[in-house]
Amino acid sequence: MPFQPMASVTRQLSRRSVFEALLHRSPISRADLAKVTGLSKQTTSEVIDAFAQQGLVRPVGRTSGNVGRTAVLYELSPEGGHVLGIDLGARVTVTLGDIAGRVLAETDEPTDSRGGAWALEQIARLADRLARDNHTHPSRIRSIVLATPGVVNPRTGAIEMAPNITGLGHLNVVGLLSEKLGSPVAIENDINLALLGEIWHGCAQNVANVAFLALGTGVGLGLYVNGQLVRGENGAAGEIGYLPIGGDPLQAEARLQGCLEYQVGAHGIVRRYHEAGGSEVESAREVFERAQAGDPLATGVIEETARLTALAAATVVATVDPQLIVLGGSVGARTDFADKVARVLLRLAPRPVEIRTSTLGKRAGVVGALSVALNKLHDELFSVADLAAAVPLPPPRVHASR
Amino acid sequence: MTRESTHCFAADLGGTKLAAAMADAHGQIVAELTEPTDRRGGAHVAEQIAASAHKLAQAVGVEATRVRHVMVGVPGAIDPLTGRVSLTPNIEGLQDFDVLDYLRGRFGPGVEIENDVNLAMLGEQTLGCASRCRNAAFLALGTGAGLGLLIDGKLFRGARGSAGEIADLPVGRDPTSQAAATSGAFELEVGSLAIVERYRRQGGAAAVTVRDIFRLAHEGDEVAAAVLDTTSRWVALAVATLQSLLDLELIVFGGSIGVRPELYERVRRALPSHFSRPITIAPSKLGDRAGLIGAVCAAARALRQEREPAEHALHLT
Repeated sequence: MPFQPMASVTRQLSRRSVFEALLHRSPISRADLAKVTGLSKQTTSEVIDAFAQQGLVRPVGRTSGNVGRTAVLYELSPEGGHVLGIDLGARVTVTLGDIAGRVLAETDEPTDSRGGAWALEQIARLADRLARDNHTHPSRIRSIVLATPGVVNPRTGAIEMAPNITGLGHLNVVGLLSEKLGSPVAIENDINLALLGEIWHGCAQNVANVAFLALGTGVGLGLYVNGQLVRGENGAAGEIGYLPIGGDPLQAEARLQGCLEYQVGAHGIVRRYHEAGGSEVESAREVFERAQAGDPLATGVIEETARLTALAAATVVATVDPQLIVLGGSVGARTDFADKVARVLLRLAPRPVEIRTSTLGKRAGVVGALSVALNKLHDELFSVADLAAAVPLPPPRVHASR
Repeated sequence: MTRESTHCFAADLGGTKLAAAMADAHGQIVAELTEPTDRRGGAHVAEQIAASAHKLAQAVGVEATRVRHVMVGVPGAIDPLTGRVSLTPNIEGLQDFDVLDYLRGRFGPGVEIENDVNLAMLGEQTLGCASRCRNAAFLALGTGAGLGLLIDGKLFRGARGSAGEIADLPVGRDPTSQAAATSGAFELEVGSLAIVERYRRQGGAAAVTVRDIFRLAHEGDEVAAAVLDTTSRWVALAVATLQSLLDLELIVFGGSIGVRPELYERVRRALPSHFSRPITIAPSKLGDRAGLIGAVCAAARALRQEREPAEHALHLT
C-alpha cells in the first residue's frame, strides 16, 4: 500500500465532525458547516461532495434574507440508512427510523401467545411490512436493537430470567433474528432501553445520574450513571424483583419469583386484593379503578404497593444516589400512583430525590431501542477506527553499504 | 517551573484515630504514624492532618512544601461540586469546616479528599482481594456502615457524592422512625451500638463491647452467638439488596466488625437462603489499613502522572 501519512485518520475525523454537525444543525450551508466544525472550507466541501455521492446528504433549499449570493442548505438524507427499534413484551412494537434520528413509522400488535420462535417470526413479519409500507427496502435497514424483558448476559448474549415470554430462553435470538431480518441485531434489557428512551426523548434529558423504576407485570430498575448504563457483572443489575422487600424473602414463592415482585408485580396487586377479601378482579388496573371509586380494600392494597415501591426507591437512593428517579411501566407511570410513592419516599429516603413519571409511557422501550440502533449505525459509519491501530512500519529498505 | 515533588502524603481520618503515611512515587510507604483524632473536631482536625504531614516530612527529610500530592480519606459524603463534607456524625464540626480548602491553602492544588470507604475499595482493587474486579463493593461495618463502590472498573460516587451511604438503607429498623432519620435504619440494626444493645436486651451482661461479644461467642456464650446470628441475617439482607441492585462480582467485608470471620462466615452461610443467585463475599485483605493504603495508591498515582506526563505517548508494537 502506498504511504499516506495519517490521511485515513484525518479524513475519518473530518467526516465524523461534518456528520455530527449535520445531525445537530441541519439544514446547514457549507460555510456554516466549516464554521461549526473548524475545518477548512475546502475540506468541508470535499466531505459534503463525498457524502452526496454516498447518498448521505441532500440539498433542502437555499439561505435567504442575506445580501449577496444565497447558499445551498444541506441535511442528512433518509437514504443514508435506516434503523429499527423493537420492543418485545406483552405487545410487539416496531419503530422505523432514519440515520438522522427521525422516527418514520411505528406499528404494534399483541405478542403471539405461543411465544418463542413464533414471536420472532412475528417480529420479522412486522418489520418487513413496516419497511415496505414506508417505501424502504428491508435491505436498507442497517442496525436493529431489540428490547426484551429478562437479563441479557453480556458475555453470551443469551436471554435469561424472562418468565413472562415463553420459550425465549432456549433460542439464539440474536442469530435467528439477524438471519430473518438480514442485518445485525443487538439485544438489551427493556428497562435499560426505556431509561435510554427517556434520556433521549423523554423526561430525563440532560441528566447524568438517573434511575428508571418500572412497575407493571413485573418490576425492574434501570441505572444510568456518569453517562453509562450499569449492567452488572452478569447483566443482572437492576433485577429488583428479587429485593428482599415486602415479605419473607425465604418463603417459597418469594424466592422463586422475587420477594418484591411477588408483592408489587401486577399479579401481586391482584392477589393481595383477593387476600384482603376483595371480590373478583382480573387486572391491577381494576384494583386501581376500584380504589378511585372508593373501595377501601383496593385503596389499602394500592397504598401498600406505593409504600413497598418507595422502599425499593429508598434502597436506590441510599446505594446509588441518583439525581432523578423516573417511574415507568403500566402501574408506575400512573401519576396518582407516583404521587403516593413520592409522598412516602419523602419520609423514607435519607436524601431528597426528584421523582418524575415516564413521559414516553409504553413507547419508552422502543424509543430507547431506536436510540441504540442509531448509535450503532453512526459508530459503524463514523468511528475513527484507525486511530487505535499501530503506526504502520515502513517497508524493508536495502542498505547500499552492505 | 516548580520543582517536581518526590513524595506524596496520604491520610485516613477516622472518628477515633488518624492514620497518615508518606510514600514515594511507587506507593512505597517510607514513614507512617497513627494518633488519636483531635476530639475538638473541625478546624483542629484539619490542622492535625497538616501537622502530621509536617512530622512525616521531617522524619523522611524532605521539605513539607514540596509534598504537593495529598489524598485524605474522610468518613463522610463529599459533594462533587463544592468539595464540602456531609454525613459525618462521628467527627464534630467537619460539615461546617472546609477541609479541602484549608489543606489546599497549605499544600497547593494537588490536595484531594475522598470518602474513606471509597479509598478502602480502591486499596483492595489495587493491592488487595479485588484485583481484576470491575464491579465490586467494599462493605465497611464497624461503628457505622458504609459502602465503597466500583462500577465498570471505576469508583462510583453518585450524583451528590453520597452513593454507598448505606447507613440509611431501609433494611432493619422502621425507616420512617425518628431514630432512623438521625442514625439510619440499617446502622441502627448492625452498628456496634446496636450489637451491644441487642446483647444487653437478650439478657447478656451489661457493659460489654462488640469485641467482648465476639470473644464470648467463641467461649460458648449462647446469647452472644444468637446476637451475632441476628446481626448477620440483617447484613445478609443488605447484601442481597446490593446484589439485586448492582449484580456485583465481589463484596469485600471490612471495618472492625466486617472483617471478623465470626461475622462474615455467618453472613456467607445465610446468603443462599436470602438470594437465589450465588454471591461472592471475602474479608478485606488489607484490614484496617485498607483506607490508608487506598489513599497512598491514589496519591502516588497522581505523583507518577506529574513525573511521567508522557505516559500516554504513542506506542509502537
